[in-house]
Amino acid sequence: MRFVDEYRNAELASTLATKIAEITDPDRHYKIMEVCGGHTHTIYKHGIEDYLPANVELVHGPGCPVCVIPMGRVDDGIALAERDDVIFTCFGDMMRVPGSSGSLLDAKARGADVRFVYSPLDALKVARDNPDKQVVFFAIGFETTAPSTALTLMRAKAEGLANFSVFCNHVTIVPPVKAILDSPDLRLDGFLGPGHVSTVIGCRPYEFVARSYGKPVVVAGFEPLDILQAIYQVMVQLAEGRCEVENQYTRAVRYEGNVEALKAMERTFELRPYFEWRGLGFISQSALKLNDSYADFDAELRFEVPGIRVADPKACQCGEVLKGVIKPYECKVFGTACTPETPIGTCMVSPEGACAAYYNYGRFSRERVKVEV
Amino acid sequence: MHKLPLDARQNVDLSAYEAPVCGVDEDGCLTCGDVAVAVTVVEPGMPDALCVDDHGNEGRIAVELVGEVIKGDRLLVHAGVAIERLADGGERS
Repeated sequence: MRFVDEYRNAELASTLATKIAEITDPDRHYKIMEVCGGHTHTIYKHGIEDYLPANVELVHGPGCPVCVIPMGRVDDGIALAERDDVIFTCFGDMMRVPGSSGSLLDAKARGADVRFVYSPLDALKVARDNPDKQVVFFAIGFETTAPSTALTLMRAKAEGLANFSVFCNHVTIVPPVKAILDSPDLRLDGFLGPGHVSTVIGCRPYEFVARSYGKPVVVAGFEPLDILQAIYQVMVQLAEGRCEVENQYTRAVRYEGNVEALKAMERTFELRPYFEWRGLGFISQSALKLNDSYADFDAELRFEVPGIRVADPKACQCGEVLKGVIKPYECKVFGTACTPETPIGTCMVSPEGACAAYYNYGRFSRERVKVEV
Repeated sequence: MHKLPLDARQNVDLSAYEAPVCGVDEDGCLTCGDVAVAVTVVEPGMPDALCVDDHGNEGRIAVELVGEVIKGDRLLVHAGVAIERLADGGERS
């Protein structure tokens, strides 16, 4: 397939693997974090770890927007969905995320009008088609998704749609990366930067990682060769004693990002003073809310939401997984009580979640299989 | 707030409902993850343009965030909105 096969060429992968092996110091253990859940998915699906020397470890980061939603916010969403005047719309993955008493899918089974959409613009259409109902969109996601919500809000305002509102849970990528860098639990050597978040925010926001923490960052695409090349670029920087922000995903990411998308976000959102992240706790200025000029579309202002903080289930170790402290299979309930069909923790819900990716592609072979290169 | 009766579940017919499946064969959820798909513009327009993905699926995509598009432009789409132009080819010279 055009634009796909080129990035899945086994011969080129072997060449890259050889080059990575050549510059790897056998006496050193390398830990590279892929921040983005999409990268985690690619790594497991294509067996990228099997192409790497045993002392190069990939650590999974917090970049799955479903995985980092705390249970209290899911409960708030369910409370909105169970109002009899509301049609509640959300992305597919979000429907299965467990709150303290079931998921949105359970709420739908109880009779709530919950509909999944592929785009916030679809939610806008639902609002147009149902003028006698209040339509709420459960907005989640990093900076990749926030522009879509921003654009939807701008269209809703232009149309004067009075029955549409957004329950905003958008988060930003840089604060959790900083929280992880400040965490004493982990010693990381470098980062694979998120590809599609970076199409929006560009490369500049990561410069503090290189400048203040002395760690290389390489923004990477999502095909297997993208990941291998980005790992190689991180390893070259480490071998040469450099720490810079590099862009491997040049076919989609510009250094300055998408200025129009950033402007749309600025017109509609403002930073929350703090927001709770599953496993990482409260992080200041790490999430977005609707700003004053779009307050009329803020579901949290239009409706009463419980806003109760709910602790994660005791058995669930999503927090440690999200920080990269443990591997998914080291969690006590991984693959037994917690599976993609009956998830306990959020990391098992979305395919971008480290646990689901590991369950789907790696649970039978925890030891790496050496790929001959 | 309206509370649904506990036995409401029994009255709901879920047989025709298709739950979103994110299984082994999926390339991940295209909407809420940091996942985007490449598409080619078939019929330019503003604010929406008709586009086709590499699997032949057509759909109208919001293009305000990338500006005017022409036939053959390659775009990166997330949640129904083009978030960037792709530099991997297309017919734009």
